[in-house]
Amino acid sequence: MKRLVDERDVKFVLYEQLRVDRLCDHPRYADFSPEMFDMAIEQAEKLADNEFYPANKIGDREGCRFDNGQVHVPAAFHQPYRKYCEGGWLAMCDAPEVGGQGFPVVVANACIEFFAAANWALLMYPGLTHGAARLLERHGSEELRELYLSQMYSGQWGGTMCLTEAGAGSDVGNLRTKAARRPDGSFNIEGQKIFISSGMHDLTENIIHMVLARIEGAPKGTRGISIFLVPRLRYDEQGQLVDNDVNCGGIEHKMGIHGSATCVLNFGENGRCIGYLLGKENSGMRIMFDMMNEARLFVGMQGLAHASTAYLHALQYAKDRVQGSPIESLKDPNAKRVAIIEHPDVRRMLMFMKSGTEGLRAMMHLTAYCLDRVRIAQSDEERELFQDYVDLLIPICKSMGSDLGFRVCETAIQVYGGYGFTSEYPVEQFLRDCKIASLYEGTNGIQALDLVGRKIAMKRGRLFKNVFKASNEILVKIKANYRLRDLIRIYEEAQESLIQATKFLGLKSMTDEFHVPILCAKPYLDLFGEVVIGFLLLWQAHIADRRLQEIYKDHNAKDAEACGQVLKSNRSAAFYRGKVASAEFFINQTLTQAAGKARAIMNNDKSALEIPDDGFALV
Amino acid sequence: MNIVVLLKQTPDTESVIRIAGDGQSIVTADLKWIINPYDEFAVEAALRLKEKHGGTVTLVSWGPRRVVESIRTALAMGADSGVLIDDPALTGSDGLGAAKALAAAVQEIAPDIVLCGSRAVDYDLAERGPMVAELLGYPHLGLAVALDSDGSVVTIERPIEGGKVSLAADLPALVTMGGSHAVWNPRYASLPGIMKAKKKPLAVKTLADLGVDAGDCGPDAAKIRITALEPPPERAPGRIIDGGLDLDGKAKALARALREEAKVL
Ligand SMILES: Cc1cc2nc3c(=O)[nH]c(=O)nc-3n(C[C@H](O)[C@H](O)[C@H](O)COP(=O)(O)OP(=O)(O)OC[C@H]3O[C@@H](n4cnc5c(N)ncnc54)[C@H](O)[C@@H]3O)c2cc1C
Repeated sequence: MKRLVDERDVKFVLYEQLRVDRLCDHPRYADFSPEMFDMAIEQAEKLADNEFYPANKIGDREGCRFDNGQVHVPAAFHQPYRKYCEGGWLAMCDAPEVGGQGFPVVVANACIEFFAAANWALLMYPGLTHGAARLLERHGSEELRELYLSQMYSGQWGGTMCLTEAGAGSDVGNLRTKAARRPDGSFNIEGQKIFISSGMHDLTENIIHMVLARIEGAPKGTRGISIFLVPRLRYDEQGQLVDNDVNCGGIEHKMGIHGSATCVLNFGENGRCIGYLLGKENSGMRIMFDMMNEARLFVGMQGLAHASTAYLHALQYAKDRVQGSPIESLKDPNAKRVAIIEHPDVRRMLMFMKSGTEGLRAMMHLTAYCLDRVRIAQSDEERELFQDYVDLLIPICKSMGSDLGFRVCETAIQVYGGYGFTSEYPVEQFLRDCKIASLYEGTNGIQALDLVGRKIAMKRGRLFKNVFKASNEILVKIKANYRLRDLIRIYEEAQESLIQATKFLGLKSMTDEFHVPILCAKPYLDLFGEVVIGFLLLWQAHIADRRLQEIYKDHNAKDAEACGQVLKSNRSAAFYRGKVASAEFFINQTLTQAAGKARAIMNNDKSALEIPDDGFALV
Repeated sequence: MNIVVLLKQTPDTESVIRIAGDGQSIVTADLKWIINPYDEFAVEAALRLKEKHGGTVTLVSWGPRRVVESIRTALAMGADSGVLIDDPALTGSDGLGAAKALAAAVQEIAPDIVLCGSRAVDYDLAERGPMVAELLGYPHLGLAVALDSDGSVVTIERPIEGGKVSLAADLPALVTMGGSHAVWNPRYASLPGIMKAKKKPLAVKTLADLGVDAGDCGPDAAKIRITALEPPPERAPGRIIDGGLDLDGKAKALARALREEAKVL
């Protein structure tokens, strides 16, 4: 059994829900066809399965090695990295003019799920290179692009994002790395960055860093930040690659993603580090925000991918592990022993994992699809509309992806029982590797502030209204299905609870109780995310139910018994029934709590603010 | 070098196989289809020959339209063109019938060398390569784990009990591939390869196009029929020897079971 990603569900999201085949009608994607998408997904799965996955456990055990300034990645990473780059995967959805393959973002995203599930630590290297290359493509001068871009998109050179410093984590505006202007227009860079993923490694001969720094005399805070391209090896006047005084001071020892090098980087220790300005002076944060959406979606994908593989592993285990007897014969010592998948509590856990994973998958790919629609929009209004969807959904993708993904990994361990806790089995690694997703690229707390403090308020609440306008248009169609009426009712109540909570927070933010929305930001994001997932699963149930009824009809199955037979013998029917079950489970188990969660937000509980600091504990 | 690869589409080895109501075929709906892994080795070997000598790699296959996907995948790996024999008259034909159709298609191409898997992971009959070679009057070298050619002679290595044997034949010849994934390490289709594959020529032909008489290779000409398919027996559950026996008694019961039932002692 395949244990990375449920390919059938990916195809369901792509073709049956999002209808990405229609993207090929647009000139930008006219060279493509669904068959080519399928072929790419199939190759991604193969490469992930055969090359990435076998290196996952080895990478975890071996980790990265710091040796006299150089960092060695796990030896097993080299071959899959090379094959990934040779296949053109690094720049799958970038424009052919810059060396990309031109695929839709949503199809690339579907492929990423396989690689990420197989070996996230490894995927981070090309993943960060891609982000850095995009930044260069969009904001670099022609000269810089000419010198550095193609080697990055091909994976010959690596790339990083250098924001974090010891005193500037969530508070990026506090950074102290300095940039001093040189006569030729370039800058001397000096400062220390920490926690830099892929900051130093031996997969590539050169690494191109995107560094946030403050030009001498620039204002304090985020307004005075600029962004620089700082190569590890730069071209000198003769066009030779020379050392650029970027040194690695060490690597972190971490809970997970051991194969990914997390580095301390010292820029200009010897006063010889040169950086090149990207964009305008003091526009570093704006440029960073421009890139943030894709980076945050990528981290959300990490959560989804770990959930996906954790779920499929747990499912297989639950089918194999024999323990206990069926509930009907619990007291009979001679009763036959059954696989644990027969136990209701195990099935409940599997359903939690299944519905959560599928909901996340729909959310991630929907957001990627919206990025495509931004790319191919026919008018400014259309572009803005899809950009609005993206901007609103991104913090939810990042935060829900990582949090729910982690919980699915945790549940996988629960399904494995004690064995899951041992390093003999792979699920504990998934949990350790997954945890970081809620921390980097802006902690989930920061995502919640982005949602409540910026996105909801933006354009006078238009983002929020637009998203629900779109979902309501689909809901109208779903409502025609009487078999889903109970689910629809619960969903509508949950949506209403969310709207009430949103109004409440909006009003509070205009009073002197403006702390309350900040205090409730994370619970609010979680509620929002659950409503989004509930909607997407309901939409899927609607599609799946239609297909299921067609299959019943084709088999002339008119009563429950006949339908039951079809579900046993027809795998498509079982799949669609499983989709409906995901919606039933998630909506009944989770969305029913929305009213309570909204109430928790709206009852103005300020205990966390009012408690004196000493009141937390007298220690 | 003018190279032909015979390529068959088979169900993914990880698919759940179910026997159809007729008891003689499998349920094909919902199956995932792949290039027969042994034929994929042949594609790899063909591409290496092409890299060395230049020339073209043509894929020849028979089966329904879905086989186009597999041909395109091999084109994306780097092959140059494909021929699919898609003719309803072939439904229900046996291995020899299919071999006749394939041989006719190969004949039109008049290649220097024909490569194919030594067996297919579906029915595992291992007959197609030898049959096509025979029909074409080519020498047949089987189960290659290494292959080389100077353009006029092909040499292969194949394992034999306790060693290896090297074989050579004049071209044109047909070679079937043995070994494993680790031996041939077939390349992955790259994304640029997938883009290019779309524009590569792929001809769909009928038996009439090939000048083959359907009566010669269709079901009526079949010399072999599948009479029944059965799944492998389900693995019997393990037995725990207890029966209220003490340690000694359990050991005796176990020894007896191993000797008399399992017959391993
Ligand atoms: C493995 C790993 C890889 C990383 N890779 C990179 C990389 O490639 N590039 C890079 O630049 N950085 C990277 N980072 C750094 C990462 O982005 C930061 O760790 C993260 O932004 C949080 O900053 P911090 O660790 O300083 O935590 P802090 O900012 O100290 O946060 C601590 C806690 O306080 C909360 N908090 C802080 N400020 C606020 C606020 N205003 N309101 C509400 N809550 C707040 C946070 O949510 C968190 O819970 C990486 C980190 C790790 C561990």
